[in-house]
Amino acid sequence: MAIKTGRYGQVKWDAAGTTPVLLISLNAWTGDFKTEMEDVTCFGDVNRVYIPGMKDAKGTIGGFWNSEELAIIEASDDDVPLFLELTPNINEPLFTFEGLAYVSAELEVPVAGAPTISGTFAGAGPWTLPTGT
Amino acid sequence: MADTSDIASALIAKLGSDAELLSLCPNGVYWDEAPPGSTRFVIVAFINAIDRGVFGRRAIEEGIYLVEARMLSTVQGANIKRAAARIDELLEDQPLTVAGYTWSTMHRLEPVRLTEVDEVDPSIRWNRRGGQYFIEMSHTDA
Repeated sequence: MAIKTGRYGQVKWDAAGTTPVLLISLNAWTGDFKTEMEDVTCFGDVNRVYIPGMKDAKGTIGGFWNSEELAIIEASDDDVPLFLELTPNINEPLFTFEGLAYVSAELEVPVAGAPTISGTFAGAGPWTLPTGT
Repeated sequence: MADTSDIASALIAKLGSDAELLSLCPNGVYWDEAPPGSTRFVIVAFINAIDRGVFGRRAIEEGIYLVEARMLSTVQGANIKRAAARIDELLEDQPLTVAGYTWSTMHRLEPVRLTEVDEVDPSIRWNRRGGQYFIEMSHTDA
């Protein structure tokens, strides 16, 4: 295990959740799996005290608009969740973040540059995160 | 396999195959420098370039190319104005076919118009006119 480049990151998807396929022309993804904390501070505590609530599962994907890759657009036009598999570096293929998610898309078309696509995803079921084992 | 040099070669070939441009610049179209003795020619050169990637590969190549006609002021009938206009007609928003790439855009970023005093004979002027052209090509396999 080591620090590795994001150049070999990857995003895969599958409507059925069985055999994820590569989403092409992407160059970024983010994942937000922070756990919300509820403030349970009481009289007499010397500092704030929290208890953990639910872990979040949402994030973003981004890259270049490619007319050969419409999966994100089609997914944003659908109310059925799809399976996402996010990998920081494909040279460590066991370290993936995956689960069902709703996806929405956003396009930006500048006059002086390549059109880009970005999307957000929000968990639609339990997500699996990599472990240190 | 995409080869960046092929983009420049295609650009030079496009300019160099135009009969009107060659009639205005009969010495031809060259990368960086023309042969000694040339008096009316077109120069293509790199100004700047950047690659844009997607996960695992290069996806888009953007280049800014200087494309300008150069003419010796003492040549009778030299028409650099028309040469620069012809360059623009050939390049502005025109497709460029290069193996391994898909054309995205080719357009001028800014015009170029210079008068250069010859280093050997200060009475001679070199007229330079054309533009900086932005070429964006995406890799067909990206």
